[in-house]
Amino acid sequence: MNIYFLDDSKLSGLMRILLGYGRVFASTEREVASNRNSQSGIFVRELTKEYLNSYRIPGFRAFDNFKSFVLPARAKVADYPDEKWIDIKKGKDKTILVGLKACDLASFAILDKVFLDDADFVDPFYKKRRESLILVSSDCTYSSDNCFCNLLGNYPYALKGFDINLSEIDGGYLIESGSSLGNKVLEGLSLPDAKENQISERDKKRKKVLEKLQKTNSEFEKAFSGPDILVSGAFDSDAGWDLGSTCVSCSACTNVCPVCYCFTLFDREGKKKEQYERYMVWDSCQFKGFSQMAGGMNPRFSKMDQFKNRYYHKFFRFFKRYNIYKCTGCGRCIDNCLGDIDMREVLSGAYAYSGKNK
Amino acid sequence: MLILGRINNMENIYYPRQATLKNIKEETPTIKTYRFKLDKKLKFKAGQFMQLTVPGIGEAPFTPSSAPGDVGEMEITIMKTGKVTDKLHDEVKVGDTIALRGPFGKGYPMDKFDGKEVLVVGGGVGLAPLRALIYALFDKIEKIKKIHICYGAKSPADQCFKDEYKEWESRKKVSVNLTIDKPHPDWKGRVGLVTCLLEKDYLKKMNADIANSYVVSCGPEVMLKFVTFKLLDVGFKPEQIYLSMNRRMSCGVGKCARCNIGPYYLCKDGPDMCYADIKDYPNVFG
Repeated sequence: MNIYFLDDSKLSGLMRILLGYGRVFASTEREVASNRNSQSGIFVRELTKEYLNSYRIPGFRAFDNFKSFVLPARAKVADYPDEKWIDIKKGKDKTILVGLKACDLASFAILDKVFLDDADFVDPFYKKRRESLILVSSDCTYSSDNCFCNLLGNYPYALKGFDINLSEIDGGYLIESGSSLGNKVLEGLSLPDAKENQISERDKKRKKVLEKLQKTNSEFEKAFSGPDILVSGAFDSDAGWDLGSTCVSCSACTNVCPVCYCFTLFDREGKKKEQYERYMVWDSCQFKGFSQMAGGMNPRFSKMDQFKNRYYHKFFRFFKRYNIYKCTGCGRCIDNCLGDIDMREVLSGAYAYSGKNK
Repeated sequence: MLILGRINNMENIYYPRQATLKNIKEETPTIKTYRFKLDKKLKFKAGQFMQLTVPGIGEAPFTPSSAPGDVGEMEITIMKTGKVTDKLHDEVKVGDTIALRGPFGKGYPMDKFDGKEVLVVGGGVGLAPLRALIYALFDKIEKIKKIHICYGAKSPADQCFKDEYKEWESRKKVSVNLTIDKPHPDWKGRVGLVTCLLEKDYLKKMNADIANSYVVSCGPEVMLKFVTFKLLDVGFKPEQIYLSMNRRMSCGVGKCARCNIGPYYLCKDGPDMCYADIKDYPNVFG
């Protein structure tokens, strides 16, 4: 795979080519004003022509996850009884996502297992949306204290799953393609090959971020080691799960999670008489109603059962079914928890009580 | 053979197909059997379930109570107990259209029952899916050693399919054992929870061969729990016990991730689970 050098001044040229394929949504660093103070943050915003020249790719993942581009918070999935039309996306337009980090790319691989690779049932809406994506990723130039992708076998830089990847170096980016579409885009830019010293600069930068991550997470390594993170026995009692006591069942963690895909279907009357609509909406296992049945029975009645279910699904059930953990280590759930709950600490606590440690 | 819609030449797994309500039969004050005519034939196995849509209100999973096979009509026996079933009981009339999606799930392991006795243990409306199993067993009765139907209801008025017990019992190799929860002036049979039909001496009276049997049970979760414990107590092994587990469902196709027990999704791996497979996982009986 060829690696090229993209001069800083040519970034807007790349974005202009991408805009030719469809709408571009880019991770963007910007000021956010709230009523108390203003702070800068990284958010996913649509990149329109007027912002092309000023756009920079942030060195860190966005606050937003990218799952809403394949699983919108609310989307119509059926009209019935008349089933003739549901327009998922018009024409051949692509959706281009820019500034994804390796953890964001990993989230698509996880969601694909459920909605795309299922031998029995493929979700046609997910498939259409997923196939329309162009993924333009970039290396992390720094990590936060809540990042833990390295504990799940990921890196702060992308090795696969992208159409185009950019690595920030002095004066510009190293750029490589990961697909035929990526090749086509790069051809249009006629870029010089990357020099050897530029590649070693990139590798040095990558190593630095990875080493920082490893240092941050060294105390949690034990809980994440071994063939499976959590053995079934870890869920038998509430011992080891006391950190969950500050959970307020707000569902922030499942909403910001790039791979929490649980949803519910709900029906309502359509615009025409005797025509009805079915919607898929995000749901959260942190709500009591998630598993409550007609008649009142609930297999996960207590808040602790609901809290544990999220871990159970991510690190046990999903692993058993798909042989991959349903977590990318992005740390968004830690950033946003009202109860100050750190997934790494919870898993370490549960690990200490699980059969593995006895 | 699934009845699903199509979109962009792909199946839309969320689209429900139309079905017309042909007949309503009142089983008990809260339970009715609905007979639907499907818009095209479908093949379902005993124990597989359908997602029934009351248009504009929502969807809920039900296992048909009529005989399985390649069918153009099917019966579903439904208790009034929530948003969808309230609407169904109160407002839907013969001739109205509802919608169905499915069948989903694996169904009962019918091949395992060859050469064995089958204990069918039901409680309340839980006899509905078991009725499909009973018909499927009747269909291959030459391969089955015996069928013991054990059914518990709250009162004589709460028994489903009352008019069929006689016909079932008149068949060869079939016994029907009934109980109600508390004494009632019109009731001369056994009184007690359904577990009283699984006591050692009662099983002996039925001539049940414990070592050579499978048990299939369906009913409320709390009943399944004590039926299971009673069965284990009288000498059944976890491998011999199949339970129609209850969980909330939404998608029916293994995506929405709520109908789980351990690593299993009831919608794809169940809804009937072998107790041996699930017993070690948390919250099995809630």
